[in-house]
Amino acid sequence: MGYLGEFEQLILFSVLQLGDDACGVTIRDAIEARTGRVVSSGAIYTTLGRLEERGLVSSSEGVPPSGRPGRPRKHYALEPAGARQLMDAYAAIQAMAADLVPALAKLAEG
Amino acid sequence: MVDRPGPGAPRALRLIASWLIRSRDARFILHDLDEIFARDVARGVGSWRARARYVHNALGSAASVWRADAHRLRVPALPGVSWLDVKLGVRMLGKHPAFTVVAGFALALGIPVGLMPLQIFHAFNAPMPFDEGERIVGLRNYDISIQDPAPRAIHDFETWRAELTSVSAMAAVSSARHNLVDEDGRAEPVRGSEMSAVGFDILRVSPVLGRRLLPADELPGAPPVVVLGYDLWQTRFGGAADVVGRTVQVGATRRTVVGVMPEGFLFPYRDNLWMPWQARALDYEWGQGPALWMLARLRDGVTAAQARAELETVARRTAAAHPETHEHLRAEVVPFTWTVTGMEARFNLEFFQIQAMALLLLAVACGNIGTLMLARAATRSSEIAVRTALGASRARIVGQLFVESLVLALLAAAAGLVISSVVVDRSTLLTRSMPFWFDLGVGSSTVVWAGALAAFSAAIAGVIPALKATGPSVQRNLQRLAPGGGGVRFGAISSGLIVVEVALSVCFLSVVGVLGWKGILSRELDPGIPTAEYLTASLRMPYAPPGDAPEAERRAFAERFGRIQEEIARRLAAEPGVRGVVFADRLPGMDHPSRRIEIEGEDLPLNAAGTAHTATVGPDYFEALGRPVLAGRGFDSGDLASERRAVLVNESFVARLLHDQNPIGRRVRYAARPGDEPGPWFDIVGVVSDLGMEALDPALAAGIYHVAPPGEIHPLRLGVHVGRDPESFAPTLRALAAAVDPTLTVPDAVALDEAFSEARWGAVWGAFLFAVLALIAIALSTAGLYALMSFTVSQRTREIGIRTALGADPRRIVGSILRRASIQIVAGVLLGSGLGAALLVDLSNDPMFHTPQWPSVLAATAAFMVLVGLLACAGPTRRGLRVLPSDALREG
Repeated sequence: MGYLGEFEQLILFSVLQLGDDACGVTIRDAIEARTGRVVSSGAIYTTLGRLEERGLVSSSEGVPPSGRPGRPRKHYALEPAGARQLMDAYAAIQAMAADLVPALAKLAEG
Repeated sequence: MVDRPGPGAPRALRLIASWLIRSRDARFILHDLDEIFARDVARGVGSWRARARYVHNALGSAASVWRADAHRLRVPALPGVSWLDVKLGVRMLGKHPAFTVVAGFALALGIPVGLMPLQIFHAFNAPMPFDEGERIVGLRNYDISIQDPAPRAIHDFETWRAELTSVSAMAAVSSARHNLVDEDGRAEPVRGSEMSAVGFDILRVSPVLGRRLLPADELPGAPPVVVLGYDLWQTRFGGAADVVGRTVQVGATRRTVVGVMPEGFLFPYRDNLWMPWQARALDYEWGQGPALWMLARLRDGVTAAQARAELETVARRTAAAHPETHEHLRAEVVPFTWTVTGMEARFNLEFFQIQAMALLLLAVACGNIGTLMLARAATRSSEIAVRTALGASRARIVGQLFVESLVLALLAAAAGLVISSVVVDRSTLLTRSMPFWFDLGVGSSTVVWAGALAAFSAAIAGVIPALKATGPSVQRNLQRLAPGGGGVRFGAISSGLIVVEVALSVCFLSVVGVLGWKGILSRELDPGIPTAEYLTASLRMPYAPPGDAPEAERRAFAERFGRIQEEIARRLAAEPGVRGVVFADRLPGMDHPSRRIEIEGEDLPLNAAGTAHTATVGPDYFEALGRPVLAGRGFDSGDLASERRAVLVNESFVARLLHDQNPIGRRVRYAARPGDEPGPWFDIVGVVSDLGMEALDPALAAGIYHVAPPGEIHPLRLGVHVGRDPESFAPTLRALAAAVDPTLTVPDAVALDEAFSEARWGAVWGAFLFAVLALIAIALSTAGLYALMSFTVSQRTREIGIRTALGADPRRIVGSILRRASIQIVAGVLLGSGLGAALLVDLSNDPMFHTPQWPSVLAATAAFMVLVGLLACAGPTRRGLRVLPSDALREG
């Protein structure tokens, strides 16, 4: 089983969330909307490229229904392997965090 | 800026981004950048913020891509260059502050100079900032016989619009000042255009309120409408949401407001009103009619070259049908910026030469810095030798020296960009007279080019000395490590450079001296009247017939304008507080044109001393200014007849051109240009005192006054004597003018002393530029001399010590050290004096710069440069004399 970095996890969750509409701009928007983090477009594509090489996502080129006509887009979809790894990573975090959240919040406040 | 709904980012930014981002997904990344930019703009993020966000995203993307690539390919860092070098370079800047300041200063001025031709070229050829602006073009007729555009082309406009298939739409535009008159009769001049409705389609700009102009508005008898600019809407209508539907009076016409354009849309100049184009060719002869600019959009898939070919075919047919008007006309497809400014910047030999000159200047500066680097490298040759011996490759050491100079050059380039953006910002006089999209400012492409020039500079200033310092002599240096001193030779190129720089210093400095001399003189010039008590303004009618319009048309206009002028004079005289009113084509203290003249029975010199200024004035001009005629008679009503040949001359004219002989009854005429018939003779009927015709040099104040009846001078200069705070009278004047004729505009109403100071602005600016050039040249030549001397002394330490020990006369030692430097100084000064003399003789022929005192200025400059040169040598020479024999021998 491979390891997934935090940013990779964010991206995989976005791809999952966006479904058919998952491409560079929309993923960037989704991350910004949910986490407030502004990331560069290049970082998204290089990360997705790496994930694709590992077989965790797949890509296809085309024009999205909601997009501007004429603009080439690359769409991404989550592969079963990617979904498994993301689930594992999230489970690992959840397992580690279990019962600790109140203590963590208290520490962070104080 | 203008809202751009289409595919986004400025081309320059996109270019940089595409250059920086290299990955197989680059095309998607670039499209995303574009889309985010377009969305930012659409969301109302300011244009500069959107650009900043674009750059931020692009740089972040590039960094990610690089990191990923480096990680995957395990690329080592650039051979020979490391972060350590950069740190070292920064440290070197602090360690040699004098070097940093001199070299940094030279580069900070040299890099913007090197950029300027390209920047100007770019500003004239850049696509307009509209959606697919690169497809917007201008069409025009160019008169090859006078080398100027021929703008009276309404027939060509309608023909081309009907026949050209390579453009999808074509509009006529004509911009002028119009009066906006409010309910109280207050009139304010506002720039506005008459434009074909399709012009808005070509520019692809939509109004923020209401609608834009429609083709139906152009039809004869259509209700008069106007579209307002955003600023005007805000300032005059308080941004009222219900402005659409209101009526405003523009000139004499009441127009209904139908829309408001977005903020920043000022097409083409600083316009704030757009009215439908209603002129029709059938009302005019061929070659007549209003002056207009033609704006067009290329049809999709059509190139400018194809459009040009089609236009040429159509124009050839026109020329065959109308040879009398079109024989010398060449139809052209050009950037619309050329059409609208009447200026152009072609990528031709001339541009190439100017660019090459600018780069050469920069290269000379860099060569000099290189000399300094070399001198510094000489003192570090031991360090270099040791590092080489310890195994550093030559590339490694050259890389280090290159990075050192690159750090300096990049900092200097940044400083230079700041300087040039401040200069461009300040020269509002330049930007005010250019179309609103014309941008000489520091854009992203300028930054890229400045970076490239910095690298170019660093290569010349750093790599060449580094190659020399690390060449085969390194081995020798290693062997000579104990005796000290460098093994680097100070080459003939460096010596030649110093001579050239001393020469340029003398040359530039003498020009600065002459200009400065005149600047000082002009400050004391007495315009002859209390300029602070006068309000001056132009009186202008929109669409006055040009000089080549038919006689009848011009006469009708003069009659109408004359009635207006007389009515204004009458009403002004009735205003309380007005002590006098004068009319002329220009007033004392303003820039007066000067022409070469001939006086019957006199031999006048063929240079500036044979010229006189001219002005055309109303009949009671001198009485109204309180400067009565000194000899002979003034103008009377008989002089206003059409065969009028009476002129007045001023005292300087009598003193300088007639050597104080009696001028009354003498005849004068304007010298013909080669190949032209000389003009008519004029009779001198009287003499008046000097009245500020020459703002720069009293020695050239000879002047001739012509008289013109009301209506014949257009635009007309008006001077109202109102006493203190004349500008407070401006609103009264405007209201009064609008009451007489609402189409009459009264732009630039200022106190006369303000207008007076503007006349000197050009000369001061020129002097400033030359001063900067002189400063660069002086800084470089002194630095070069200093480097040469330090170098000589350090190389000859041993010899000097031995000679001192043997009891040599210190004066002879100084002489031997200084010999080479003094030869260079003298050679430079001689060369510079020759160049300077040639330049100043030439300059002296121009009345503007006429200075009989130039030889003394030149001599003073030469003496000054010798002194500066010797001072540059003083430090190292003293160091040489302080060499103790014991030290020198110990080193040996």
